[in-house]
Amino acid sequence: MNHFKKLLPTPSFLWTALFLLFLTPWLRAQDSPEPPAEDTFAAVEEIVEAESTEVALPKESQYLAVVGGDIYTVTDGMIARGALLAKNGRIMKVGKRVRIPKGARIIDATGMRVYPGLIAVDSSGFLRGSGASARDGFDPFSLTLDLGLAGGLTTVHGSNAVAKLTRGSLDGMLLTTSPWVKLNWTSTSPASRRSLRNSFSKARDLIRAVRAWERDKQIKSDAGEEPEANGVNLDHLRLLRGEATARFAANSLKDLLGICDLLEEFPMQSVIFGGREAWACAGRLGRVNARMVLTPRAKQYADDRLNRPSGWSIENAQKLWAAGVEFAILPSQKSISTGGIAGRDLLTLPMEAAFAIRGGLSQKAALRSVTLDAAKILGLEDRLGSLEPGKDADLIICDGDLFDYRTFVQWSVVEGNVVYDKQEMPYFAHIRPRPVSEKILAAVVEALEGESTEVAVEESAVSDVDAPEEE
Amino acid sequence: MIASLFLFALPVFAQETEREPLGRLTAYRVDHVETLDGDALGKAVILVRDGVIERIGKTVIIPDGAVVKDFRGHGWTVMPPFTVSHASAFQGATRGRGRNGKYVGIDTVWLADNELLKDYLSHGVLLAGIDPPGTGVPGRTSVIRMTAHAPVPEAVVQDLHLKLTLDSNRSAKDLLRNGLKDADAAIKKEEKAKVDWEQARKDWAEKQKTKAEAEKKEGSEKEASKKEGPASAAKENDKEQKEEEKEPPKEFTAPKIDSQLSPVVDWVRKERVAQIWLSDAAEWVHWNDILKDRELPWELVLSHTSSHNFHEVVEELASAGVRIDLPARLAMQTRYTRIHINLAAELVDAGLEKLVLRPSSSGVSGLSSWRVGVADLVREGLDRAIALKSMTIEPAASMGQEEVVGPLVVGMAANFIFVSGDPLDPLAEVVLVVEDGKTVYDRELEEQEEGR
Repeated sequence: MNHFKKLLPTPSFLWTALFLLFLTPWLRAQDSPEPPAEDTFAAVEEIVEAESTEVALPKESQYLAVVGGDIYTVTDGMIARGALLAKNGRIMKVGKRVRIPKGARIIDATGMRVYPGLIAVDSSGFLRGSGASARDGFDPFSLTLDLGLAGGLTTVHGSNAVAKLTRGSLDGMLLTTSPWVKLNWTSTSPASRRSLRNSFSKARDLIRAVRAWERDKQIKSDAGEEPEANGVNLDHLRLLRGEATARFAANSLKDLLGICDLLEEFPMQSVIFGGREAWACAGRLGRVNARMVLTPRAKQYADDRLNRPSGWSIENAQKLWAAGVEFAILPSQKSISTGGIAGRDLLTLPMEAAFAIRGGLSQKAALRSVTLDAAKILGLEDRLGSLEPGKDADLIICDGDLFDYRTFVQWSVVEGNVVYDKQEMPYFAHIRPRPVSEKILAAVVEALEGESTEVAVEESAVSDVDAPEEE
Repeated sequence: MIASLFLFALPVFAQETEREPLGRLTAYRVDHVETLDGDALGKAVILVRDGVIERIGKTVIIPDGAVVKDFRGHGWTVMPPFTVSHASAFQGATRGRGRNGKYVGIDTVWLADNELLKDYLSHGVLLAGIDPPGTGVPGRTSVIRMTAHAPVPEAVVQDLHLKLTLDSNRSAKDLLRNGLKDADAAIKKEEKAKVDWEQARKDWAEKQKTKAEAEKKEGSEKEASKKEGPASAAKENDKEQKEEEKEPPKEFTAPKIDSQLSPVVDWVRKERVAQIWLSDAAEWVHWNDILKDRELPWELVLSHTSSHNFHEVVEELASAGVRIDLPARLAMQTRYTRIHINLAAELVDAGLEKLVLRPSSSGVSGLSSWRVGVADLVREGLDRAIALKSMTIEPAASMGQEEVVGPLVVGMAANFIFVSGDPLDPLAEVVLVVEDGKTVYDRELEEQEEGR
């Protein structure tokens, strides 16, 4: 990483000097109203300090502050020129005015946009090994991982595991093993569909029998043995009990409607990959609570012989959104490839979502499709997908609108650690290098002249920081 | 004429005053010495008695009777012999053994024919380390000396370090984890057996004691009872025979440990050093994941491959405080750049104290490019003295052969080589190898023989 600095147009002394920069113990975003009297931050810190005597917390609390950028929280709108504070990998505070403790690493996001880290609900090439062993096979320095982070990804699903792109570390990497049970529906064989239905019937009968037995047991003393799960598919049982999510792959209206029928008869959590003709049955998909994984650019010709809507639609995502269907977006190549045509793989996931925007989807919905709704599809919405206190500090800082083709990810943060910095990595540093703000220069000069006393900021400085107030 | 007479008189004078003890004396007059102990010496004399360096310096008086070997005027450099830490050229037919976690020790080193030994010697190499082939936990390393002919046991150190490799995959990690777990269990088993044995000894001793006391008491009682009659005495004898028990063994014998596991057990007991082979930064992360905070003796052997990215973890590697062995060559930063990475220099800058540079390929061809590779590293920032040490005394220290290859100081075995110039100059050749004060390789002679 540091080798590349040699090539940068920025004077190297500047980057080293930034380490010496003094930062105010707290800062105030511009135009913010007068602060409330209570110091919420201090209170939180006290609690954590108190806990630390009992629980084995990291030796020293690691703070990360992202200041000055427009924060797209996903769940709570956009906070213009806000600040976000993370402690030990979790978001502590997001708002207009956030107190930053001394020693926090601070990223100046002035003029930039802060989003939750993007989530790929399916991928290949990021993980080796399958399921829980993905951790032991993980290469935390792989090229795919670096490029994934450069593309804004912070969490990927693949190889039956959901993992964060914790560059350089295994800590916090493995989130969960795959929560899905794959169901084969698209096969053209009616027999296999019938056997699937029969299997679910058996599983449902068992659930009913067990329920009846449990009722009996409370009333009668001779309720007998608990009904046995003989010949019942245990995966299907888990699905009906709501312990797992069914994963289908279907594009044609016929298959999608068939799946809707199945889900109506056997309600369960589901995710359907593909869905090119889903726009034609958006209402039904919404009613059976199906979640989708879409590739808005994947085309399919309409079949004029059919007396029904067919083919793809650029409005697909928008129509599903209108019908209340939650969906994630994936590009046609779910890897990061160094060949082929650019813009169709996970290096440019937002470009795929931008195509849905072209078809009428709102920016807000498009953002959800690569963040919170993707997290929901993976069952991880309690940890990922939005910028709110308590959630994981996985975020990206972009130099423009996420869905603009010119936008680059400037920093990626996973678990509160900066794992990608455009200017420090060799991939895109040379394209529109990030300028160093004049305020940083002034602060560096000040630090070098010895007017400041403390070392606080690494990496980048804050341009919109007010002078420290005497307390 | 007069001057030469005067010069001739000097050694005579020396002999009279110093009264040297008897022994075979050789004095090497040389242009330049890289002692690898402080500064290099120019125009120096190395005095060797019975294969040991007796004097070394610029002002050494050569005693009479010493055989003077004058190598001045060629610009040659004298330095400790080169040492190859990992020479797989000697692995030969055993390649591929010991995969999949079989803790197979190399019981016999496959010694190549004498030609290969000679080839190594002609490159100034006196010692070479040999690894068990294979991956996972393949076995233990050995050391050979190039002057050994065929399998001469005295010349070979066997059963040295434990070799471990990590392949960034679950099976390799599991293998290591399980190896450690099994070793822990074996040690625990032995400890328990020892405690049990000690308890058994104690119990037995106690029993003997009480028995003795009882006998004593009985003895006095018997005296009294004798008067009563012989019947009761016979009764007592019966009782004694019943109580007699088998004595536990006097010496403790530990439970037998599986021969495949025993090197791992040695390692866990800190009686053996493990050499951990890593091929990229990810494996370093995984190695730490296995090791956690455990304190075990280990060294690192890094192998550069095309995916080499150790520069990502330079600081951590250097601060681990262990010896690090890497191939002597510049690496390119991966990902399609042409940026040079001088990992050796970076590690030294980051505080690494024990650096070993090995030929980047272990065949004879690798030997000829070894010094060139090191020269590249020195040109791009590696300290020259550290570089020379990393090819000689540092690998020897790793093998526990400090007394064979060490800095050229008084008291050291007279093992050194002559290089026709700066050892890092690719045009310079090894012209002479001296082992224990005897010339074991002479380029001129070899060339004459070849030309014959």
